[in-house]
Amino acid sequence: MKRTLLIVFALACAVFAAGAARAGSGVVYVYNWTEYIPEGVIEQFSEETGIKVVYATYESNEAMYAKLKMLGNKGFDVIVPSSYFVSKMAREGMLHEIDKSKLPNFKNLDAAYLDQPFDKDNKYSVPYTWGGTGILANPGKLGTMPTKWADLWKPEYNGVLLVQDDLREVFGMALKAKGYSLNDTDPKHIEEAYKYLKKLMPSIRTFNSDSPKVPFMNEEVDAGMIWNGEAYVAMGEVPALNFVWPEEGGILWMDCMAIPAGAKNLDEAHAFINFILRPDIAKKMVEEWGYATPNKAAMALLDDDMRTSRVIFPDKATMAKSEFQDDIGDAIVIYEKYWNLLKGEQ
Amino acid sequence: MSNSRLFRRISIGSAAVWLTLFALAPNLLVLSASFLTRDEAQLIAPLLTLDNYKAILDPLFMRVLAKSLYLAAGATLICLVAGYPFAYTLARMKTRFKPLLLMLVMIPFWTNSLLRTYALIFLLKAKGLISLCLLWLGIIDKPVSFMYTETAVFIGMTYTLLPFMILPLYSSVEKLDLRLLEAAGDLGASKFKIFRHITLPLTMPGIIAGCMMVFLPALGMFYIPDLLGGGKNLLVGNFIKNQFLVSRNWPMGAAASIVLTLLMLVLVWAYHSSAKRLGKKTEGTAL
Repeated sequence: MKRTLLIVFALACAVFAAGAARAGSGVVYVYNWTEYIPEGVIEQFSEETGIKVVYATYESNEAMYAKLKMLGNKGFDVIVPSSYFVSKMAREGMLHEIDKSKLPNFKNLDAAYLDQPFDKDNKYSVPYTWGGTGILANPGKLGTMPTKWADLWKPEYNGVLLVQDDLREVFGMALKAKGYSLNDTDPKHIEEAYKYLKKLMPSIRTFNSDSPKVPFMNEEVDAGMIWNGEAYVAMGEVPALNFVWPEEGGILWMDCMAIPAGAKNLDEAHAFINFILRPDIAKKMVEEWGYATPNKAAMALLDDDMRTSRVIFPDKATMAKSEFQDDIGDAIVIYEKYWNLLKGEQ
Repeated sequence: MSNSRLFRRISIGSAAVWLTLFALAPNLLVLSASFLTRDEAQLIAPLLTLDNYKAILDPLFMRVLAKSLYLAAGATLICLVAGYPFAYTLARMKTRFKPLLLMLVMIPFWTNSLLRTYALIFLLKAKGLISLCLLWLGIIDKPVSFMYTETAVFIGMTYTLLPFMILPLYSSVEKLDLRLLEAAGDLGASKFKIFRHITLPLTMPGIIAGCMMVFLPALGMFYIPDLLGGGKNLLVGNFIKNQFLVSRNWPMGAAASIVLTLLMLVLVWAYHSSAKRLGKKTEGTAL
């Protein structure tokens, strides 16, 4: 039923968007994650540029991807896919090349976050914000603080763990703990990770990807994997909590602005991206969400507390060990098979 | 004359168009997708195959299905045991507050069921209301959490679906002919005998309708086990969602949806035929 509604809604959007685009420019259709832009930014953009923003939101990369596929890449001018969807969508011809001559603010970005394996030379994408998954724990209650992913397999953590309800994250953790890449596509390594995860299952109290900070704040769980932004907020509420980047390295993601191949309002799309790259806007995004900014110029504007937070901005050594999630192509079917086995055999 | 015919045509026609567009067509799309092949870039490739159904018959999917059936059947049973005495008492009550009491059963429906599930978390968690009350009463000496257990899942499902059980039961108890009960009492039947031989058979249509109305939605419900049970089990709903969104295996997800739809159709068919048989039987005894 939900699917039916989705298709109907998608068609309705397509018709609507096509009609509106013909009417002329001065409009930009932005399709972003839920709760992912600070309040007032859209209004400020419209006020300063005179471009009207039509804003829609999604809950997952997968939902956004499916909708664009069905609309033939039309209907939206700016989208915000995660790193591993940038490479997938670019390969499938779903993205329009970025014209950097229209982005004077591109120079504000830190070179450390550009030219990543998922999009060489940033042909199709511009970093929006980034973060990663590490370990949050309550050492006071546990009597110990985990320092690496493999620690979570120790008997002390029996029945008190939270892991994310996301197969790429959970297998990423196991693969990292076993010394492999979290983008590994070798079926043998994936099976090994599955066997290792099976041993972890009795320790898991809950799977949660909606808002993993909540069970921590309710003291229902004492340790587990969590996005750094969520951890930053949880630590503000419960000082006993402590966040660590695991020794094996964190699971990093980067959400990037991109333009769908069928976008109609190219100038407006570039103007919007350029606006987001302004240091004062990028600063607002860190303050609101606790996720790191790739914007070097914005760093100088941040409070000392935020700028020096190792939760939000991992140090160089951690970064060197961590990896960005990349598209794994057809291997996702193998991951999914083992994920079903992991949960279905309970 | 022609005016009413026009009205009839328009009303039946619009209903038919609506159902064709939004019920028949999508289901046919799902059905046809279930016979096609997964494609990494195009989602679906037009290659006919039966592999999706073969993969569905895998023991893993059967386990997933069995777990869903178990949770749904458990929730139905609890709803029946809790709902029957409630509906019976309510229907037989001689008070002018009856409509108000019936209203109170339905009021929770005005709030979204997802929100009500979140509200349950505030009762069940370690620092929640139940735990705090027990602490205050001195029954326990440290906080107890009811979260992330099967009990929590049953509590959540029962809470959400109980009205679906109570309403059909209420209407069937209300229709009960009291003279039959009095006659049986006069002829010396015990209370239990009256219940067993008169009340129960006559309210059976309500029981079956109530069970169907709880069981079918419970089968597809996965957010309650995810939120209250900690998402440790894979249910049919999760399985289908994962096929569509995560592994983008639309044909496989479509095949699983078709299997679930068929299962539900069988249950509805069984309900209809048993209701018909019961109808005939009660008519026969009345005569």
